[in-house]
Amino acid sequence: MNLSLLIFFSLGMFLIGIIGVLTKRNALVFFLSIELMLNASNLLFVIFSRQWGNQIGLAWVFFVLVVAAAEAAVGLAILINLFRTKQVVDIDQYNNLRG
Amino acid sequence: MHCALCFSLFLPLAGFLILMAFADRIPRLPTYIISCATVCLSFISFAAILIIYTYTGMLPHSDTLYTWIPIEQLHTDISLRIDPLSLLMALIVTGIGFLIHVYSIGYIEHEEDFARYFACLNFFIFAMLLLVLADNLLLLFVGWEGVGLASYLLIGYWYFRPAAARAATKAFVVNRIGDFGLLLGLLLAFHLFGTTHIATISEMASQQYDKGDTLLTIMTLLFFVGAIGKSAQLPLHVWLPDAMEGPTPVSALIHAATMVNAGVYLIVRLHPVFMMTPQTLQLVGVVGAATALYAALSAVGQTDLKRVLAYSTVSQLGLMFLACGSGAFYSAMFHLTTHAFVKALLFLSAGNVVHMMQGTTELNKMGGLSKNFPYTHWLFFIGVLALSGVPPLATFFSKDLILEQEYLAGFEVLFYIGLAASILTAFYLTRVYCLTFFGTAKLPPQILSQIKEAPRIMLLPVFILGTLAIIGGFLGFTFGKTPLLEGFLKEVGVTLAEKKLSSGFILTPETWYAVGGAFFGIITAGILYLRFADRLGAPLSILKHSFYVDQLYELIIVTPLKSLARLITNFFEMGIFDGCIRLVTANVNRTASLLITMQSGQIRSYAAWIVIGVVVLMIYLVF
Amino acid sequence: MTLLAYSIEWFLGILLITSSLGVILAHKPVHASLFFLLSLMTLALTYLELSAEFIGLMQILVYAGAILVLFMFVIVLFQDAYSQISQFPSNSSFILLFFAGSAITFTMIILGILLNGFKAHNAALPDGYGSVESLGRFLYVDFFFPFEAVVLLFLIASVGALYIGKRKE
Repeated sequence: MNLSLLIFFSLGMFLIGIIGVLTKRNALVFFLSIELMLNASNLLFVIFSRQWGNQIGLAWVFFVLVVAAAEAAVGLAILINLFRTKQVVDIDQYNNLRG
Repeated sequence: MHCALCFSLFLPLAGFLILMAFADRIPRLPTYIISCATVCLSFISFAAILIIYTYTGMLPHSDTLYTWIPIEQLHTDISLRIDPLSLLMALIVTGIGFLIHVYSIGYIEHEEDFARYFACLNFFIFAMLLLVLADNLLLLFVGWEGVGLASYLLIGYWYFRPAAARAATKAFVVNRIGDFGLLLGLLLAFHLFGTTHIATISEMASQQYDKGDTLLTIMTLLFFVGAIGKSAQLPLHVWLPDAMEGPTPVSALIHAATMVNAGVYLIVRLHPVFMMTPQTLQLVGVVGAATALYAALSAVGQTDLKRVLAYSTVSQLGLMFLACGSGAFYSAMFHLTTHAFVKALLFLSAGNVVHMMQGTTELNKMGGLSKNFPYTHWLFFIGVLALSGVPPLATFFSKDLILEQEYLAGFEVLFYIGLAASILTAFYLTRVYCLTFFGTAKLPPQILSQIKEAPRIMLLPVFILGTLAIIGGFLGFTFGKTPLLEGFLKEVGVTLAEKKLSSGFILTPETWYAVGGAFFGIITAGILYLRFADRLGAPLSILKHSFYVDQLYELIIVTPLKSLARLITNFFEMGIFDGCIRLVTANVNRTASLLITMQSGQIRSYAAWIVIGVVVLMIYLVF
Repeated sequence: MTLLAYSIEWFLGILLITSSLGVILAHKPVHASLFFLLSLMTLALTYLELSAEFIGLMQILVYAGAILVLFMFVIVLFQDAYSQISQFPSNSSFILLFFAGSAITFTMIILGILLNGFKAHNAALPDGYGSVESLGRFLYVDFFFPFEAVVLLFLIASVGALYIGKRKE
């Protein structure tokens, strides 16, 4: 079981998620990239849980999964609201909080 | 005696504090009663102290009230000294002060701000008493500053008048110059003697130093500088004529009878030390004589009633310093006493006229007022005669004593200068009397008919002072025995010559010169101004502007200082200090605006910053 | 067998990377979400490979079955809007983004190089590792409090989502 290889792939997925966050202007794809990053970290936890033979990592993944679901729901609700106000999906236009 | 002393010293202070604290809430009559009562009670208790003092053998003693700075050798306790000199001064201050308080009740009738006036007057009495009763030089200095402050407050009583405000500031600043000298002298005294206790200094001076020691001379010179400032001698005399902007009772009290005598008092108090430094004494005499002549000449050319009297004060003080300069300290004190009475009399009767004419002091608006002021003009005339030196009125004896003393001590030039000053005194006083009360009236008849005599409350103190002016001379002169004042001031060191002169009817040629000169001055001025008043033009402008000394000071000192102040305000203050502060704020603002660009509201930029943070963290943790 | 066992990580990994790349490189958001679905499936397979059956099942049920569906709904809702993106200028500072992106890439690569030859510790697995029963017991007994907290969180989240998403009259 070559766990160390999987770690590299997890890192790669995380990196791709970050690039997506920095690059994409569509709000929904932005969100998807964030979910990518979450999944990458989930994978890392499962890998290490398998490595040490512990179930703590699995429990952690369980909670992350649940929280990610809740966050996605609330986040999408906010996004819908924003869209109703701004009429665009471009996150560069969501700059009301500028100082 | 201790209780009486505290009581009499602090009662005026209590009056001041009460009046200041409850200034607007006490109605008129209680204010008058409080202020006059404090001074009256003070005077009565000083009289009581005098009686006790004389009957218990005339032992000078000090009362320590409070330890101020607890350094042993410094002797800076609040301790008061009772000896004949301080008692005399205290009686003059409280006595004349009380009369002037009563007079002020009438003068302040039309003013709304009477509480402040009486409070400041009480404060002045307190400060002056502190000055004369002080046992050590530091406490004397406190009183010295206090009277300067009181003078400033009272000259600037009508502070909304620009001329009055300027005059008050001028008085304070010029006084300050003198105070600087006094302070340096005080410090030097402490350095030389290790104490500021006056009696100790006097003893040590005569024991430990030779006559004419350099440091001692410097110290006495510095003290004399202080006296010049306070007593308005040349060259620091410029504040006294301008100080006439204040109310007339203030001029009478502070600038005639009491405060300006502080300089003379200082020198007489420290006379053992001054006797050790003949150079300083010589300078004192010369300055006194020069001032006397200068002021007398300037007074001839004035067109303002009060300014004539102001210059007259400067001149008489010059005579007192002249006396001190030849070692005749007793005659200086005698002249101080009689001059206080007579000058207060002159000022208060002039004040009657000024008050009844709604504040005009210009001589060219007055004339022919003798019918309007039946009592006042006689009282003024008594004052004129007294100050000119007509026997047997008060000032004759004291002035005569000074002049003879000059001659006998060998300073003949000074005697002639003093004589000239006396003749001029007679001349200008009579001139002012004639111009005010006789001659053609300058005001239209309908206004003239409305001017009446002053109310009784203002006349009564003037009457009392007139009586004192007539009989006051006999304090220092009797036929045969030692006169009262001399016996009293024995410790001041009456010289042999004075002793001879004051207890007998020795008519030296000098006496004849003095009397003759006085009559000559009076008659000349009388003829000139009664007959030819209308044909004489304006007085010589060099005399009117008192030899342009004021303008000279303005040119050399005031204008450069003001330009310097302007330079500092405009260049240093605005450019450098403000500039530094502005630099800092500009930089902070710039930094802030730089940092604001971080808050663009762009989510991706925030994410980028987070990512950069993560990179930094990773580098730190892993590498 | 060993070849297959050896290469299953490689297979899964490459599939993972490819689908992730697909998510960010797709033109249309619908395609992006489909690629995301693919990556989720791959992840589930990987979890199964790592003997975490319960987690793998949960991944399918929760992520692919609920979250992805939500995303789909919203994407379909905003289908017309995405094309307008090109009309607006990009407001974020390009330099900053470029710098951040390159920094993290660089750092990751170096980290990867450093991690080369890292030998994983292959522990012996306890009985029932990753099964529903054992994980369930673990959660209910050892992690009871977080479990209940998460339930509360769900409640709050659903109420919140409802409230935020409501059309305000």
